[in-house]
Amino acid sequence: MRRADKEDEPAVYQRVVLKNASPYHYLKVCLVLEDESTRLSAVELKQFIVTGLNSLYGEVGAALTFDLLKYDEDTLTALLRVCSRGLVKLWSSLTLLGSYQNQACAFRVLQVSPFLLALTGNSRE
Amino acid sequence: MSPDLERTPRNLLVSERSSFLDQKNRISSQLDQLHFNYKVCVLLPECSSAPSHLDSALNTFSSFYLIRKLPLYELLDTHFLETVRHGGVSGLSYRTRLDEDNCVALMPNGRLSLSLDKDSFELLGVEGKPSRFNHRTKSRFVVCVDLTDSSMAPGGRGYQRLVTGLTSRLPLKTDFLMSLPAGGGASVQALLSRYDWSEHRPEVSSCSLTDLLCPAPLTSDPPAPLTSDPHRLLEWLGAVHAAVSCENSSSSFLSSLVCPEPNKKLSHALRVSVCGLLSHQDVQKLIQEIRVYLSVSPPGSASWASVTLHGFVDSPVSWGGEEHGVLRGGDNFLSLMMFPDQSYLLHLATGAHDTCPP
Repeated sequence: MRRADKEDEPAVYQRVVLKNASPYHYLKVCLVLEDESTRLSAVELKQFIVTGLNSLYGEVGAALTFDLLKYDEDTLTALLRVCSRGLVKLWSSLTLLGSYQNQACAFRVLQVSPFLLALTGNSRE
Repeated sequence: MSPDLERTPRNLLVSERSSFLDQKNRISSQLDQLHFNYKVCVLLPECSSAPSHLDSALNTFSSFYLIRKLPLYELLDTHFLETVRHGGVSGLSYRTRLDEDNCVALMPNGRLSLSLDKDSFELLGVEGKPSRFNHRTKSRFVVCVDLTDSSMAPGGRGYQRLVTGLTSRLPLKTDFLMSLPAGGGASVQALLSRYDWSEHRPEVSSCSLTDLLCPAPLTSDPPAPLTSDPHRLLEWLGAVHAAVSCENSSSSFLSSLVCPEPNKKLSHALRVSVCGLLSHQDVQKLIQEIRVYLSVSPPGSASWASVTLHGFVDSPVSWGGEEHGVLRGGDNFLSLMMFPDQSYLLHLATGAHDTCPP
């Protein structure tokens, strides 16, 4: 984290510039399954992602904490939160997760941002 | 563990505290510099429905046009250029992805910006420069033309070269979103009549929230802005707008997201969003109305109001006409939190392929 451009005046003006200071990154992902009628609960989805982390990074990798902030069971779309240092690990394990209960699957990462607020206003949708 | 695995693309957050009453405040120019606004989200605490003047401000955003398959040389049409020279016309290519396709933006000051891939740039044959966000190879180029400049007058050398480029060498066609100043519709009728076009009003949606957890400094009297940790404030705001629950116990398997402590429950709040190609005059007017709303509200009711303005992800330009790019995301948004004493807390956020916000 770096702070630059801090100006203090007797009035209320204050400006702070923070670079790479976001503690978390947020991902909007969608699970695409071979059998489109399959449904997963939120707990099953989170467990599935944990197994993906385990298969790629082992037990220590699977201990990476991430949060399933929001989940839509109908579209299998989820909002995930992970600490910034763990983003690459989580994203790579989502990429390499290829099968769920013997059917082919893929995680589509729709949006990634260090700000949750940015995920609410995506003009690409 | 390799440190490379822990690196994320650069992101910037500018956090500013000032007051509308301070003559040196730059809020108006900062708002104007985000040219292409996609969505504005308003959050009003202790409010179940918008008061009438605010409601009318939200529902009277100017309409915009969507022109399908517009050939870009039409933007250099003589009559259209006259309208551009008067100022206030802005446009953006629609459904073009900045990291894959060719994108076009026309700013209200008459500057046309084309973000092109290498082949298209070489075909076009007009002076441009490599994108400042190229990594190793120069794969994207930016052509910036000032349509109000004398060299771009019809018949001028620069004008001829660009028209020839867009007609014969690189006949680009794209769906185009256009916003015109008030009363400007008549001047582009000739252009619109040649193509398939439709007029749209920005979409307004509102939602009344109940039992909303809110950080206590915001609800105290007088409210104390959460300046110590802007990321936590923005995360809480994002959770409210994304309808993410903040009531998770520490032992929950699914999520541990909680509202910043200390917090207080609000009995109700109103969340409104407006989506479309929004002009910054309408956004400025909305902010004015919210300031009035805050100043006349009885003490203890509305102690703050939040406005979040999202820019287009695929706009070739962002803050102040500077180049914008998409690496893993194209965030460029600003979040303004206003208080009854006319002070405000402004956050400006950008991603990797952006310059520092003003």
